[in-house]
Amino acid sequence: MNVKIIRLEGNEFRFILEGVDVSVANALRRVMLAEVPSMAIDEVIIIENTSPVFDEMLAHRLGLIPLVTDLESYVLPEECDCKGEGCIKCTLTLTLEKEAEEEGVIVYSSDLQSQDPVVRPVSDKIPIAKMARGQRIVLEAHAKLGKGKVHAKWQPVSTCAYKYMPILEINQEKCLRCGDCVSFCPKKVLAIEGEKLVVKNIFDCSLCKSCEESCRFDAIKVSWDDKSFIFNVESTGALPPSDIVRVAINILLRKLSDLEEGLSIAVKEEAH
Amino acid sequence: MIIPIRCFTCGALIADKWEEYARRVRQGEEPKAILDSMGLKRYCCRRMLLSHTDLIDDILPFSQKIRKEEEVF
Repeated sequence: MNVKIIRLEGNEFRFILEGVDVSVANALRRVMLAEVPSMAIDEVIIIENTSPVFDEMLAHRLGLIPLVTDLESYVLPEECDCKGEGCIKCTLTLTLEKEAEEEGVIVYSSDLQSQDPVVRPVSDKIPIAKMARGQRIVLEAHAKLGKGKVHAKWQPVSTCAYKYMPILEINQEKCLRCGDCVSFCPKKVLAIEGEKLVVKNIFDCSLCKSCEESCRFDAIKVSWDDKSFIFNVESTGALPPSDIVRVAINILLRKLSDLEEGLSIAVKEEAH
Repeated sequence: MIIPIRCFTCGALIADKWEEYARRVRQGEEPKAILDSMGLKRYCCRRMLLSHTDLIDDILPFSQKIRKEEEVF
């Protein structure tokens, strides 16, 4: 099992996972989507809202704002000592108070005052509502850790997908450098450099086989390595993408050790 | 009415890009070039901005009128 990083930049993480089966790659993908916790607003107490954005719409918009998550300092409400009632270990309070003194004032995510300076909206420029002169919004919001399987607002990733590692075999003797495959490829994977047809960016190949079909001389062959995957993870900004993968692996390992424990208990009971 | 916070399909944050996008379109730039420069690669996220109409500015004057009538009663 081997990991090679192609790109790790901002919210994007692209890597090759080698020597594993699809089931392992898919387990990892599903854990990243549904089980890696992140922070999101879950409860909103609206004290005053005279803006044209209705209360329920406002609450929904607030919930969808990705918050920078600190997994070390917070626990999931269901695992907390307070049993999900809400205490400082599992709940963070954010407040918002804004009055429009002129026409068309936009309420931004930067107007949300967080109790914890670490956990804040990932961007300050998210418009939450717009108000006419004299309108007011006063509210209190409770952010909690949650999982993507409960609500998509807790999903730390926007895209999380993998594909097989493409293999392009070019028979240079048969190839006449006509350039048909180069123009047919929708992802611009191929190029003619000097007197040779070369593969420029194999990672962009979508295995569509357009090049293979367009070649009149049978000089190109598309196949893939089914033990090697190109993973594409894009974070919403809640967690750094490399952390998402790491946390997902830990969650998967914990699930397996729980299973092992359950099995050994069952075997022991059977022996009695 | 007002720009959705996230892309309906993939869940990526798009609301923070709306104001820059709208401003640059008003200045006469090509939407394709703006979306590319803002790093919106997938067509699901691109359509969010491309097909959005910011109707909240049209609703705003009415909401204020209702508020004033409420005060009268």
